[in-house]
Amino acid sequence: MTSLILSPAEQDFITRGVEGGFRADGRGSLDRRQVTLRTNMISQANGSARCRMGHLNVGTDVLVGIKAEVNTWTPGEPDNIGSIVCNVECSPSAAQEFEGRGADELNIELTQLLDRILNGPQSGICLEKLCIIPKQAYWVLHIDALVLDVKGGIVDTLIWATRAALLSTKLPRVVVESIEDEDGNLQSEFDVVDDAEDQIAVEGVNNLPLTVTFNQIGKRYVIDASEQEEAATQARITVAVSPSMDICAVQKSGILRGFSPSLLTEILHTACKIAREEFSRFKDTFAAVLSNQSSNEANTGSTFLGAF
Amino acid sequence: MATNAMDRRRINGPQRTVEPIYSKDTDPFASGRKDSRSLDQVRPIYMKTGPLSTQANDLSASSAAAASGSAFYEQGNIRVSCAVYGPRQGRKSNTRMGSFDCDFRYAPFSCSWKKRSHVRGADEKEISLMLEHAIAPAIRLDAYPKACIDAFVTVIESDGKSATIAAAINCISAALVDAGIEMYDSVAACSMGLWESQWVADCSQAEENVSSSTMIIAYMPSADEVTYMLQHGKTSPDQTDQAVQTCINMCTRVYAVLCRGLQASISE
Repeated sequence: MTSLILSPAEQDFITRGVEGGFRADGRGSLDRRQVTLRTNMISQANGSARCRMGHLNVGTDVLVGIKAEVNTWTPGEPDNIGSIVCNVECSPSAAQEFEGRGADELNIELTQLLDRILNGPQSGICLEKLCIIPKQAYWVLHIDALVLDVKGGIVDTLIWATRAALLSTKLPRVVVESIEDEDGNLQSEFDVVDDAEDQIAVEGVNNLPLTVTFNQIGKRYVIDASEQEEAATQARITVAVSPSMDICAVQKSGILRGFSPSLLTEILHTACKIAREEFSRFKDTFAAVLSNQSSNEANTGSTFLGAF
Repeated sequence: MATNAMDRRRINGPQRTVEPIYSKDTDPFASGRKDSRSLDQVRPIYMKTGPLSTQANDLSASSAAAASGSAFYEQGNIRVSCAVYGPRQGRKSNTRMGSFDCDFRYAPFSCSWKKRSHVRGADEKEISLMLEHAIAPAIRLDAYPKACIDAFVTVIESDGKSATIAAAINCISAALVDAGIEMYDSVAACSMGLWESQWVADCSQAEENVSSSTMIIAYMPSADEVTYMLQHGKTSPDQTDQAVQTCINMCTRVYAVLCRGLQASISE
């Protein structure tokens, strides 16, 4: 995704390595880099998370903030569901070519991918529960992701961060009162409870999918490619898998090559296998984050940066 | 809302009103498909290359601004037209490989679900990217260093979002052939929708509205390569597998139609 140019020798080194099952950083072809996760570091947001794949200075870093907002229903919108609005922005601090309009294409690609995974029944989020009063008011979750650093594997990092942010999102409780007016019609009114203690989680976030992105290099593929491997990639495919091991979305990208049908089938099966490990890894990482943060409540700059 | 002061000059409605009972959205699959297709049948395809005036071979013809190749593609109600320019000088110099850029647009009157504005929406930009990723693997970009090839796609009429994207891929393939661009193989594409655990080929808009997930696959039959795949919505791994296989078979059939159309255009 970045404009790193490999020499033919480097390209050959990476390709032959991947075909033989070796990678420059010593990982196996289906191993992920080290993941660092922090949640709830932005006090203004309803939920937030920052995720880094890889080590300091050589990793992909994504910050996701979620703001909830009450919207009034307008005719033409669905009656009884809330909505999710995604936006991904690649910061020029990540790479020089993101300056100005340079990141536009990548932003659109990532935004639409995130939207395709989250917006709809496939995400597992109970959109009906985000409705406050049918045909009157509903919650909108604005999911804004900021890509701070890019060193390969941007999609998976984005989804990890988004999942963690949604899991840590707390919405204010809403009290709905129904009053009967003089004609016998029910009029509903609602009140948002302004109490930091009295907040509820978003329903269904535990069903959110995770993605596995495969990079085809030569005849074989790797997951969670580094920057160099990404430059040697001929085709890429992202598979989103839900905790119930259903496939939620598949998207291919890359302009150099396609996949042979047999490799494609193999990848889809591998994706489901890896996803199982991914979910347990996510669970462990997330649990560790929560226990760390409860012991150190103050979110100062050092805790924000500490792990990164 | 009833008011106490009655207006005698007007015909007053009753005090209490109720909404009329509308008939439920009829299930498009209730008694087979509306257009009596079978579940794995693609809508009839019509294709023509070179509907637009093309660049003359001699430079004196002063038509340097005309397209190098074009195609018109029809699939049921879907109508797509595409013009290909190039190979022409690339915007970036010093590139070993040529670039392929695509510009996808819905005509303002083309969609049933909403009126399109003249400004290119995010969905159109994304579809442009999808088309680039679907078509570029077929083009011998290494044969065109420092050059760029541009495809401009206009949807004149659409019926089913994923079917329209698939139609656009087929249309660009034909236009590229018309422009004489070197390719490994033509790309054929088709789409499917999942309806009650059954895959239905080439969904119209009404069918797509009730399907729980959609799949688009672009495939090069001679090279045996899937150049693009997009799935939207939840399925079991087996269902995805099955869809990939069925889509590839259908793409091969669409490819045969494309080839016949292209042959016909040469013999004309």
